[in-house]
Order: sequence, then C-alpha cells, then structure tokens
Amino acid sequence: MTNDPIYNELREASWQRKLTNAEEAQLRTWLAAHPEAKADWEAEAGLNTALGGLPNVPIPSNFTARVLQAVEREAAAEQRRPPSNWASWLRVRWLPRVALTATVVCVGVGSCLLMQDAHNKRLGEGVAVVSTVPSLPGPEILKDFDAIRASNPTSAADEQLLAVLQ
Amino acid sequence: MAMAPDPDAALMLRVKQGDTGAFAVLVDKYKQPILNLAGRMLRDATEAEDLAQAVFVQVFKSAGRYEVSAKFSTWLFTIARNLCLNEIRRRSRHPVDSMDTPHPEQEDQPLHQFEDKQTASPPERLLHGELEQKIEQALAGLPENQRLAILLCRQDELSYEEIARVLGCTLSATKSLIHRGRETLKQQLKPYLQTGDWHESN
Repeated sequence: MTNDPIYNELREASWQRKLTNAEEAQLRTWLAAHPEAKADWEAEAGLNTALGGLPNVPIPSNFTARVLQAVEREAAAEQRRPPSNWASWLRVRWLPRVALTATVVCVGVGSCLLMQDAHNKRLGEGVAVVSTVPSLPGPEILKDFDAIRASNPTSAADEQLLAVLQ
Repeated sequence: MAMAPDPDAALMLRVKQGDTGAFAVLVDKYKQPILNLAGRMLRDATEAEDLAQAVFVQVFKSAGRYEVSAKFSTWLFTIARNLCLNEIRRRSRHPVDSMDTPHPEQEDQPLHQFEDKQTASPPERLLHGELEQKIEQALAGLPENQRLAILLCRQDELSYEEIARVLGCTLSATKSLIHRGRETLKQQLKPYLQTGDWHESN
C-alpha cells in the first residue's frame, strides 16, 4: 500500500467519479514508474466498478404522493391539537412548579426569621446582664498603673485597684 | 471563492413559504438517492421506504427553521443519516425474536407464525446475480459508520467536505473511514476482483 500523495489524490478522486482524461494520463505515468502499485490500483478500479454497478433500490411509483399525503396528515394533526391558552398552560405546566418554589422559599424565610428571633433574644438577655453592672470608672484611674505594678512585685491581686473598680 | 448558488436551497426557501410544489420537486429529485442509502443501511425494503418517507416528512416539518448555511443535499443527507442510525440502534435495543423461538405453552408450535408466501426476501429483491449479492453482503458486514461513508461517497451531490459534515467528523477521519471500509471490501471480494468480473480498464 503506497502513501504517495499523487496516487492517493487520484485514488480518492476515483472513489467518487470517473477520472478525467488528464487524470488517467497522470495515473498511467505514475503506475509506469511504480509497477508495484498496479495490483492495488486494479483492485481499487474493480471495486469502483462494482459499487457503481449496484442497482437502485426500487421506488414505489406513488412514493412522492405518499410523502405529500403524510405531510398533509402531519399538518392536519398539528391543527387538531387543542390551542394552548394561558390558563391551561399555567395549570398544567407551571402552577405545580410555582407552588413548590413558593413553599421552599417560605420555609427558608421562616427559618431565617426564627433564627434571627432567637439571636435577638439571646442578645437581649446579654444586654440585660450587662445593664446590672454599675458604670465603670474612667480611664484616669489607670494613670498610675505602671508605677503601682512596679512597686508591687508579687502577682497577687491588687486589692486597692479592685476596690476602686468595684 | 464564492459558492455557486444552490438551486435546491432556493426550492427549500419556497417550501419554507408553504410551496408544496417546490417540495414535490425536491422529493422527486432525491427520493432515489435517499432510498438507496436507507435500503443499504437498513437491509429491509419496507423499512427503507418508511424511513425515506420519514426523511422527507422531517424536511417539510423543519422547513420553518431552514437556513441556507450549507448545501441542501448536505442537510438532507444529515437527516437521513440520523434517522438511519436511530433505526439501527433501536433494532439493537429491541432485537426481533427468531422465527424458531418456541411458543411458551405449545412447544411444538413456533412463537411467531407467518403465512407461507413464495416471495423472495427483501434484500434479494434488490439483487441481480451472485456478484451483486456478494457486494451487498460485504457492504452489510461493514461497521455502520464505514458503510455510511462509502454509500455517501457514491452520491454525486456530495464532496468529501460535505460528506464529513453529514458524518459529523473531520475530512481526514472521513477519508480514513472510506479507506478502511474499502480495504475490507477489497479483501472480501478479492476473488471477484482478481478474475476481472468487475474490472474496468482505464
């Protein structure tokens, strides 16, 4: 089997149609220079003839009429289909989907509201606890904090500071 | 290079406007090539007629969406190819019972009983002689994509590029399918090709 581009091009052309006179001359010249490809070309040519000689599949004489009748039946069936009006379109196709979507959305929104409510309640309880604490002294009491801390090397709690804070 | 206007596309545009006369012209022109393709893909004359009819009905139903983006024949054979392959795959999913399958309750009776008619089987109605029978058998034995490629290759209306569009593959893949299919046919028909029964001198 040869991969020569000239032979391949002529061979592929022969698959579809009879070679022109010029193509046949080119092929003869090429085959004269490549006698080893002659057997392959003869097989190709034989197969081309065999495929080209296949008989046509018989067509019924009324084929076109039958096709036109089938087309008319299709058109008539299309016209007989009930017209789609908005109400039936909604009812049949979209209403169930809308209902399901609305249910999912409502459940989701309701869950969010409940969670928010619980959070607000906890926040309120926290605020209530904090509100019982007396107001804290201002930061000016810490102005001597470093000195006090340095003078007291122990890690014990500073009783005085605690008393001020209370 | 500008593409030459396609007269069939012009007819199809008239079909799009509801011209059934233009549609009948297209059916008359392409019924033989489509039936040849369907007949050799399905190997059943009755089913091939039904499928060919379905191809043209589909063409008419799709007329409203038709756009001149390719040759009409390319579009037509693409529809034919799709319907043929659908039918072949449907058959493979629902194989027909053998005629020898016994009846579940009456073992001496076949499951399917048919009137005994002295008629030739559908493929043989298409054949003339042993040589044609051999090539029909060899074609039928090819994988469906190779068989389809070789059959489309015999259509005068289709270039290799258009065949590639119908098959939905590249140009090189198309030529490869045709080449492989032909190599198989040459091997199976070697005795007939060697005797020169089909040899045509160039």
